[in-house]
Amino acid sequence: MNLLDNKAIQISIKNLKDKIRHWQYVFFSLLLPIMFTIMFFFMFGNEEDPTGRTDFDYGFPGMIMYAIGMGTMNAAIMFAQDKGSGMLDRLDTMPTGRKNMFLGALISESLFLMLQILIMFFIGYVVLGLYFEGPLELFIGFLIAVVFGISAVGLGIMIASVSKNVEIANAASLLVFMVLIFLSGSMVPFESPIVFFTPPFWAKQLFLQLTVLGDGFGDLLYSGSLIGVSSETIPITLGIGLLIVFGYTIVFIIIGIIVFQKKTKF
Amino acid sequence: MREIKDSIIIDIKDLKKYFKEVKAVNGISLQIKKGELFSILGPNGAGKTTLVRMLTTVLTPTSGDAFIDGYSILTGKKDIVKIIGVCPQDITIYEVLRAEENVEFVASMHDIPRKEAKEETKALLDKFGIAGRRDWSKNFSGGMQRRLNLAMALVFNPKILFLDEPSAGLDPQARRLVWDFIRDLKKEDITIILMTHDMAEADILSDHIAIIDQGKIIAQGTPSELKEKYGSDNVLEISFLEPEDVEIAKKNLENISFVANWKEINKKGKKTLFIPFQGGLKNLVKILQQGIIENIDEVENIKFRQNSLEDVFLNLTGRRLRD
Repeated sequence: MNLLDNKAIQISIKNLKDKIRHWQYVFFSLLLPIMFTIMFFFMFGNEEDPTGRTDFDYGFPGMIMYAIGMGTMNAAIMFAQDKGSGMLDRLDTMPTGRKNMFLGALISESLFLMLQILIMFFIGYVVLGLYFEGPLELFIGFLIAVVFGISAVGLGIMIASVSKNVEIANAASLLVFMVLIFLSGSMVPFESPIVFFTPPFWAKQLFLQLTVLGDGFGDLLYSGSLIGVSSETIPITLGIGLLIVFGYTIVFIIIGIIVFQKKTKF
Repeated sequence: MREIKDSIIIDIKDLKKYFKEVKAVNGISLQIKKGELFSILGPNGAGKTTLVRMLTTVLTPTSGDAFIDGYSILTGKKDIVKIIGVCPQDITIYEVLRAEENVEFVASMHDIPRKEAKEETKALLDKFGIAGRRDWSKNFSGGMQRRLNLAMALVFNPKILFLDEPSAGLDPQARRLVWDFIRDLKKEDITIILMTHDMAEADILSDHIAIIDQGKIIAQGTPSELKEKYGSDNVLEISFLEPEDVEIAKKNLENISFVANWKEINKKGKKTLFIPFQGGLKNLVKILQQGIIENIDEVENIKFRQNSLEDVFLNLTGRRLRD
């Protein structure tokens, strides 16, 4: 069977068409993290440390995680809309399979997230000239961001599955996403053991150390985002950190499918 | 898969669905024959949509079971969804997709090869008068969206088609058009289950009707059987301006020997008497001559009409279907 005939792919193509044709919503959801990036650049992008990097060079990976976290909201809203309009019920009377419904949404939202990441890269590294180690490190950083993005989308679909309507899905996803971003120390530094329990921390820390510090997967991770001479490392290498990011993503997808199957069954 | 009699395609066995205290469907048993148009007629909130949601495997019953072409709705979802087409009560289309994109999407969910899906979609949209529209479905009129809603349920040639209030909210002209499509479908080898609260729709289109009220079937048969069994030949309908006039008319009715089983309906303070009687105009004249409106200054309206399914429902429940 042709890959394009796969039902999850068909659902994702339909979702992408739906998304692109709601271009105003897409425009504003892409614009918000860009606006924050530019704002923070002017606030923190001037003072250089002895290595020539600015505070914002260290802060930008967190902005990328923030932009990806927005995917939680986008996925939740899109999915809740289909649920509210009765479209999910209608799909349920066809030989679609709930796993395909979930995966279709996951694929389309993840593709959309990739676009979001690429736009952030363009703004950060091309327009604002932020520091990065090299193209290979940036490519690996991109892949890490995508893996984290998939977990954010899974979380968004999970939230939509348990939400009664679009308004609740919107509010609940915003709450969960903002709390996670704050607790992970992605937007503003947050030095607490709590950060280890948040997926954005691991993704952001890996991205930061790979693309800004030039660390390898054998190096130890720092405990927080305030990286300086007094910063402490934790006994976990970047390689293990990568496994943790993958682990979070797999767990979120599995829980997402289970919650979706249960919560859409009456 | 369960063996069921050849001609029976849907076999419902004591199906129940309770939502906490609300008994939405309360023990329905039914058998529907292959190729017939079977209507489930009942007022809003009677349990029609809950019943169709269970039969289409969206909703799990509290108890009981139903067999769709031999497959249990409890265990045979995978097989059932391959043979049923569902046209929901609410228009459920992707608004920013074009008509053919909506229909082709449904075809892809049914594993129809793309080339075949395109041909089938074109033929269907031609038939439904919405071919060639290049704009998004949200720009369509209500009638066009309803037709698209129906086309989406038909693209894979289902064995059984569930239509939940297919003409709801349409103007008379668009309603007639939808009825014509349904009549055309009847000519094909497809079993149609029509959920409706529209008596005319059920009367005109159905081979068989089950009347449902408060989650239970209260009568079933062909339209003419129902009217014969639970109605009379004709009905005289008198609406009164003053409530006390109704009491006078009821007293007058006691003196008219061949009239019985009349019903009184009170809607928004206005009272109407429904007086069923056998025979034709001659008996109508007799009723009037024998003084039904004697001592009443003025009535709001007098209507003489043939017995309808509305009267069947009124006889069975004491309420009008649209109340």
